[in-house]
Amino acid sequence: MFSEPTMSPVNTVSFWFSKRVQRWLARNVPAVSTATLHRRNIFILPTAHGLLYVAATTLIFITAINYVLSLAFGLAFLMVSLFILCILHTFRNLQHLTVKGIGGDSVFAGEEASFTVLLQRQSGRMHEALELSFPKGLLTRADLIEGAQLRVNVYLQTKHRGVLKAPRLLVQTRFPLGLWRAWSMLDLDMCCLVYPTPVACSLPEAVSHSGGGKGSSTQPGGDDFHGLRNFQPGDSLKQVAWKNLARGQGLKVKQFVDSSDDRFMLDWAMFAGFDAEGRLSRLCYWVLKLARSDVDYGLNIPGVVIQPGRGDAHRHRLLSALALWQQLQHIESATGDAL
Amino acid sequence: MDVNYQIPRLALLWVLAALLLVILPGMLRLPLWILLLVLGCMGWRLLIFAGRASYPGKLVKALIVFTALPLTVLQFRTQGVGLDAAVCLLILGVVFKLLEMQYKRDIVIVIVLAYVLTMIGFIYSQTIPSGLHAVLAVAVITGALVSLNRDNARNNFRNNARLAAQLVLQSIPLTLALFILVPRIAPLWTMPLPVPSSTTGVTDEMTPGDISSLGRSAELAFRVSFDGEAPSHDRLYWRGLVLDFFDGRTWHRSGSTFLDYGMIRRYPSENRGVPQGDPVAYDVIMEPTQQTWVYGMQLAEVTAGEIVQDRNYSLHTATPITQRLRYQLRSWSAFHTDLELPRALRSRALQMPEEDSNTQSAALARELRAASADDMDYVTRVLRHYREQPFFYTLNPPLLGEASIDEFLFQTREGFCEHYAGSFVYLMRAVGIPARVVVGYHGGEYNRFEDYTMVYQYNAHAWAEVWFEGEGWVRFDPTGAVAPERISQGVEAVFANQPGFMEDSGFSMMRFRDTQWLNTLRLRLDAIDYAWNRWVVSYDQDLQLEFLEDLFGENARSSLLWALGMSTALIFSVAAFFLLRGGQRQLRDPATRGYLALAADLAAMGLPRRTGEGPLDYCARVSAERPELAESMQSVTMLYVQLCYGEQGVGSEQLRQEFRMTLQTLRLRVLSRARRAGLVAVSAFSRQR
Repeated sequence: MFSEPTMSPVNTVSFWFSKRVQRWLARNVPAVSTATLHRRNIFILPTAHGLLYVAATTLIFITAINYVLSLAFGLAFLMVSLFILCILHTFRNLQHLTVKGIGGDSVFAGEEASFTVLLQRQSGRMHEALELSFPKGLLTRADLIEGAQLRVNVYLQTKHRGVLKAPRLLVQTRFPLGLWRAWSMLDLDMCCLVYPTPVACSLPEAVSHSGGGKGSSTQPGGDDFHGLRNFQPGDSLKQVAWKNLARGQGLKVKQFVDSSDDRFMLDWAMFAGFDAEGRLSRLCYWVLKLARSDVDYGLNIPGVVIQPGRGDAHRHRLLSALALWQQLQHIESATGDAL
Repeated sequence: MDVNYQIPRLALLWVLAALLLVILPGMLRLPLWILLLVLGCMGWRLLIFAGRASYPGKLVKALIVFTALPLTVLQFRTQGVGLDAAVCLLILGVVFKLLEMQYKRDIVIVIVLAYVLTMIGFIYSQTIPSGLHAVLAVAVITGALVSLNRDNARNNFRNNARLAAQLVLQSIPLTLALFILVPRIAPLWTMPLPVPSSTTGVTDEMTPGDISSLGRSAELAFRVSFDGEAPSHDRLYWRGLVLDFFDGRTWHRSGSTFLDYGMIRRYPSENRGVPQGDPVAYDVIMEPTQQTWVYGMQLAEVTAGEIVQDRNYSLHTATPITQRLRYQLRSWSAFHTDLELPRALRSRALQMPEEDSNTQSAALARELRAASADDMDYVTRVLRHYREQPFFYTLNPPLLGEASIDEFLFQTREGFCEHYAGSFVYLMRAVGIPARVVVGYHGGEYNRFEDYTMVYQYNAHAWAEVWFEGEGWVRFDPTGAVAPERISQGVEAVFANQPGFMEDSGFSMMRFRDTQWLNTLRLRLDAIDYAWNRWVVSYDQDLQLEFLEDLFGENARSSLLWALGMSTALIFSVAAFFLLRGGQRQLRDPATRGYLALAADLAAMGLPRRTGEGPLDYCARVSAERPELAESMQSVTMLYVQLCYGEQGVGSEQLRQEFRMTLQTLRLRVLSRARRAGLVAVSAFSRQR
């Protein structure tokens, strides 16, 4: 399920190195929900452009030596000074920036999880051309110039269901000259729930209903038109009988299920023949599908039984149960491949 | 990671401006077609920017590159692989890069090359204006970098210009420290020099009319500052070359006399000069002449540098002087040279033209010699001849024909110093006295503001040296016999009102030397330029040591690196202090500070917040233990959570107000209860303030 790094020597070394870095960061930049950037958690190194600049400065310096050009010495020294001063300015662009982890919204595996962080500045400081990203994630640009704070979403590609603990957030900047890159790796202690990827499928013939196992051949949400009922707030617009409305018969909703028994139990056994993840994905699809229809639905998977119900909170309970099924022991693993 | 994203639009304008600024001073050195190509490419880039043109296709690019490069090589073929060609190719490369510059990486390459082009300007000129130009160029290039890295609403001209200026100004203290303290190293290898433009100043030939034409020029030749008292004006003979070969019309250096620089360096002639008395030391900064010799006072001793002295006591450099050159000399005013005259030198000093048509002059020489007791007496008689006959000293002498000496001595009798020096030496040689012409400068203008002497082209002069048994070479200036004020006061005093004097200088400050304040201004400006050259342009290892010895005393050399490290660290720390200070006071936002103060109050009541306990859990515990506080505690907690984590609460001023009010009433209640219980000191409340 979790791909282990292949143990070629290079990978072993880089794996060892990244472990060391992680351990160092854990000790020196510990997890907190609010981090203010300062001397001890900002790192700074020259960029590729900075090295090009250094090369040009060296060229000018050597020319100055060979042609004995005093002013070219001056130019080279001015460039060196600018380069050195740029350290302070780039550092200053991150310094005193407060980054607060607000949290992430639940997503389905394979989607991009969006974590919200709050950037706060102190009066008198501006933070321009900030770049925020998770390792291997999308880059979010931000400028904190006006206003005391700014909400920023940072995205992270999800792979597996479960609790996704956000890896260390990279906050970096190259401002003002692009010669230095100052960055900080912050563990803001943010988590989000990753539901299984929904996989579309049809229910098998033998379906189980709750309520003492009363058999019924009617599939909820199936194609068989069952009848009309009055529209209730919360009904999906897709199921509105527009033709009846046009005939002046009022707002009706098409019903596809047996209205006499709208309590529906999703069961682990429904998708026999798939592996555990496959079952969870299909259950997830049906939870979503039932949430849009007009039935009470419940869930029965090994170790978890949730009685039928409806509403957003109920849906979230079911999805969470699917996401977390036998997953709690994996929470820590999500951070393993960080950096 | 992401060097490849697009260039902010404003950055492009900055880069174009920077490039134009950098190329500007060298524009006139470029061949016309290259200049047009450069401007064309920049114009094209502007059109692309404006959306009126598209990027050139591969074919067009190939066409431009493969025609421009061979043409450039052809253009410079006659001059060899020189610096000018390299500079041209570099500029072409940069403007071609402009045309295909689409990504950030490309623009950074162009920007870095712009720095290099700024430096190249210094190979041609190191004046104060070019120094200021370079600082401006660096500021604009920095602005381009800022604009490139700032992709937000603040990316406008004013903000970028201000930040760039701020950065450059802040770098200046460190720049000065590095300039003064970084050890200067001798050149690592020889470099191609710019192809010399036309030579200026005194040449190594003297035909009647040559030196008087220099009298039309008010350009500076060199500047001298003496250690101590400057010699009097009539002794300021700046000796250049010895011209000892006469072809009947023109004086030359005899070919075999001139040993090339390398020869002299390898086989220095033994010093045949015998100095007497104390020398005077001085420091010369010479304007570029494109020639290979420099000027000094006889008898000079070279104290430092790459200058050598040939057997005629002339001073030579290895390469043509294309940049201002600074050198130091010591000279003795009393001396004997060549007490033993070698045969080769003697025959050269007696050489006469093979086809000599100056019969009258030769006859005059013989006549005067016959009437003189000895050689010295003869010289006196010749000088008296110049003085007593109606000779005129003029800047505009009439042209002379074949027998130039005869025509001058017997017909025109109007001449500049080269006429007098040439005819004098001829008269000497005609009776077998070794003599030769010396060209150089005489006199100079004293600048009291920086205590130095300025020597101009119109100070160009020619005089004679005559050899006597037991005396060696003795200087005679026949011009002094005709126009003694030329020697005592200077050429300006003689010719101030004569047409032609300084005529080639166009509108020059020199024309206003009679207006007091303008003349002062002129001297002041020259003093600034001189100080710039002396202390900045010619700042080298020696000057560095001299300066540091003033600062640190004897062991300056060892403390150089120490001083460098210390001052760099000091300047960096000061900059860091001013840039990075502040911040600690407002570590938490006001809401959190208020909430923590409340928690402290509650702790004083016996309800401390446990470590790791969230606001909601704490609220529940407090509510359970103190039901009377439950309601307001809950509303405070809800507002706090909303302020810190809520969707719309963050940054809402209204919520902030509400929180502040609720918090205050709750804390007052907590406090009054606590005080009733005698549990809390009143000071706890004031901690919030």
